[in-house]
Amino acid sequence: MIDNQKFTDWIDRWLRNELTETERLEFEALRRSDPVLAQRALEQQQLVKAMKNYGQRTDFRSRLNRIHANLDMDCVREEVNQLSKVRKLHRNGGTIRQLWQTYRPILAVAASVALITTFGTLMLIRQYQSSHKQQEQYSMMRRDLQAIRRSQNAILQDLNARERALQINPGQVAGSGFLLSPDGYLVTNTHIIQDADSVYIQSTRGDIYKAKVVYADNKYDLAILQIHEDSSFRVKAALPYGFEAAPSDLGERVFTLGFPREEVVYGEGYLSSQTGYRGDSTAYQVAISVNPGNSGGPLLDEKGNVIGIISGKQTSSEGATFAIKTDYLFRAISAIPTDSLKNNSIRMSRKNGLAKLARKDQIKKIQENVYMVKVFKHEK
Amino acid sequence: MTESNRSHLSDDQLLAGLANGSDAVLEELYKRYFPMVMNLILNNSGTEDDAKDIYQETLIVLYEKVSRDSLELHCQLKTYLYSVSRRLWLKQLSTRNRNGNSLWDTDERADVDDDLTDHEARDRQFDLMADSLDRLGEPCRTLLEDFYIHHLSMQDITEKFGYTNADNAKTQKYKCLMRLKRLFFSVFKEE
Repeated sequence: MIDNQKFTDWIDRWLRNELTETERLEFEALRRSDPVLAQRALEQQQLVKAMKNYGQRTDFRSRLNRIHANLDMDCVREEVNQLSKVRKLHRNGGTIRQLWQTYRPILAVAASVALITTFGTLMLIRQYQSSHKQQEQYSMMRRDLQAIRRSQNAILQDLNARERALQINPGQVAGSGFLLSPDGYLVTNTHIIQDADSVYIQSTRGDIYKAKVVYADNKYDLAILQIHEDSSFRVKAALPYGFEAAPSDLGERVFTLGFPREEVVYGEGYLSSQTGYRGDSTAYQVAISVNPGNSGGPLLDEKGNVIGIISGKQTSSEGATFAIKTDYLFRAISAIPTDSLKNNSIRMSRKNGLAKLARKDQIKKIQENVYMVKVFKHEK
Repeated sequence: MTESNRSHLSDDQLLAGLANGSDAVLEELYKRYFPMVMNLILNNSGTEDDAKDIYQETLIVLYEKVSRDSLELHCQLKTYLYSVSRRLWLKQLSTRNRNGNSLWDTDERADVDDDLTDHEARDRQFDLMADSLDRLGEPCRTLLEDFYIHHLSMQDITEKFGYTNADNAKTQKYKCLMRLKRLFFSVFKEE
């Protein structure tokens, strides 16, 4: 067993590389064989190293202090001044960069807040809009309730563009109408001739007659027109179709003629309900496809009886067209003050001469009595 | 000294001179970058003394890295010194309880995190050793310093301290070393 002091001495000499070759071999062998001695060697090595580091740093510090003491501080200050001048010049270009570096975290927070606010607002607006849309739909329904007929999406044909091209008085509406009696009384929808300055009717042949509004019934959306003192209008002996006031049955095949465009258009369908829009008992629901301009056209059954007057359709569902029942046409007519008729009562026939004809022949006869109603208004 | 004279030593030459322990090179280095660091400190609520302390500490970081041959400069020496000074000053400011998060500076900086972590470890060791040596007292302290730091031989020490022979000196040195070892490792191991 080697004594502690001697071993310590050996470590010192080992660290200083002063061991002879034999001593070194013996020392290495000792370290390998005895972990306690190895540990002591390691600790002493650490200690000496720490001391050396200490010495090195102390020495370096005193060197630095010596240099600093010999430093010409005025000269250094002068140089610092120059530097800060240069930096100030430099800074003029770099102010933004510097501000950016200083306030970058704040900017980041501000930017995120802005983003969140923006998208939050957008989402809120979208939500509000969608809920608002529902409200609009709802209020539309309410307006429908208040004035049911108007709500039925009056089928009007807006001729604005076309007639403006013809340089005629703008603000026109067109619909359909048909003869009630051979002497020139016609029926159409009130919504067509509303606010009209003048009303003209045009036959399928292109003849145009001036008409006057004899009576306008807002309740049933029915208006009675009379061809106005026009000698060219040829009074007919009788109308080919009759009027059927009795309610028709569901499933009845029906057809209509109207003017969704300049030409008369035929449409076919069936009676789908005894009541109209929202249970309106004055109208039928008909599965027939109509377009703006069909309003005021006759609705005829298989045999050629007029059973209604096309008045509107429901936009939200396909093939739901409404026609005012003929019964209410009679009621409207009977409500006309006798003055306005100038003592000429409207002679409506219930006789029907079409019953046994094929459809195309029926149409041929009917279409002569169906007119396009053109309405001229003051532009509001 | 004019600007052209001062810049004739390259970064590599400066570092080599520093590792060799050349006083001239150290002085050159010291003068070259002190104004830069002082400018930084003065611009950020420091004094000239603060500047001196921070700069010397920075040079110690550099010196100890160089003498260990472990310095990997990925940037200009100037940038490295600036970065280290900046970090040291930030730390100083935060211990003084000031807002040390944003300095008004624009110079580019290098990543000196690792170097400073090493430096902090060495700092602790240095303080511990200084403390241990203080508590060791004389003549042990001088004896150990002479032998281990200044590399005097046992013969020189025997003469210097007036021991009758080298064995006495060795015994004395052994006792001193054992005491230092206890003082040093009592704290060092706890860390």
